Amino acid sequence: MRPPRDRRPPVALEFRAAAAGRRTVYVVHPGALAAQVHRGLADALPEGDGLTVLDLGALDEYAQAALNGGRADTTVPALAGRLLAAMEPVRVPYTLAGWSFGGVLALAMTRAMPAERRPERLVLLDSIAPTEEYKQPDEALEPDLLLGWFAMYLGAKRGKPFGLGPDAIAGRGVDDGLPVVLDAAVAAGALLPGTPLPGLRKLYDTYVDGLLRNNRLTAPYRPDPAPLPLVLVQAERSLVPDDPTLGWTPLAPHGLTRYGCPGDHYTMLSRPDSLGVIAPLLHAA
Amino acid sequence: MAAVTASEAETWLIEKIALRLGVAPGEVSREVYFDELDLDSTEALILAGELENWLGFELSTTTLWYHPTIKDLASYLAEESDRRATAA
Repeated sequence: MRPPRDRRPPVALEFRAAAAGRRTVYVVHPGALAAQVHRGLADALPEGDGLTVLDLGALDEYAQAALNGGRADTTVPALAGRLLAAMEPVRVPYTLAGWSFGGVLALAMTRAMPAERRPERLVLLDSIAPTEEYKQPDEALEPDLLLGWFAMYLGAKRGKPFGLGPDAIAGRGVDDGLPVVLDAAVAAGALLPGTPLPGLRKLYDTYVDGLLRNNRLTAPYRPDPAPLPLVLVQAERSLVPDDPTLGWTPLAPHGLTRYGCPGDHYTMLSRPDSLGVIAPLLHAA
Repeated sequence: MAAVTASEAETWLIEKIALRLGVAPGEVSREVYFDELDLDSTEALILAGELENWLGFELSTTTLWYHPTIKDLASYLAEESDRRATAA
């Protein structure tokens, strides 16, 4: 019998080293998509700038929770401490950014670090604010909403984005809605023909457990306002597309600057037109 | 459900993995580590769900860690399947 082996990836993944005196962008990545999705961003940054991804998925206490029913035995501040440790030695000058739930972690990091170590601004990539008004109980995450997000995620993950008709899954529930997603994914080439429904169900359940984990980590977290200006980039098809601030205003006493980019919550990380919006903002921050 | 034998589990795993990789079953080694196969995490989870459906019971998240090859996993699945069939 071959022995198990430790293939755990490092938390800090350097995609591109900064040239002497040039800026390093640190992006907090909360999983769902592989950290390699940020390869395109590294290439889109100006020559000489570096990119390091801080991958929450490399932290066992976080990653395992998506496989064990969505309950993590940790907290946002504790995870932020792990990420700050992984950043050492910090390469300056630097920009800190966070995608999705990674934005919540990035905010916690700025609260935990000494003032003289803080970056000039914090860049939030389609991240929902951890404020009381924007926290949702688990039961508020209804199947219609989750199936739509899951289809968006699956299309991005497989490099074959696909849409669902406006009423394709409305009111169907998971059991009846998931076959609709399966058919659309196969038609778009995102899944192989013959992909079994129980297999897709496992993928869906794991995806939802990852969302629940982040939801439950956010619920008890009571952040103080950000100690620096915030920059928010919202995808055209954001998880909450009709909300222009994603709840960040009360946490931004030093200012909130908003930008929009093409794509959805997931494809915004890889589409060249979206990276064309994001990369200059990270460089300027 | 009747217990699954190690040979049956091995055949099932090789056929499904070969299908996903687009290769002939004979090209899938029983000894290679799962993470050396060209399966991304999406395919691996879909395969795990299909496997659980076939076996009729859920697998622990650490199963592939402790049984990291087709040969090792098939052997474990046969033991676990037999234990559950006997207990039923």
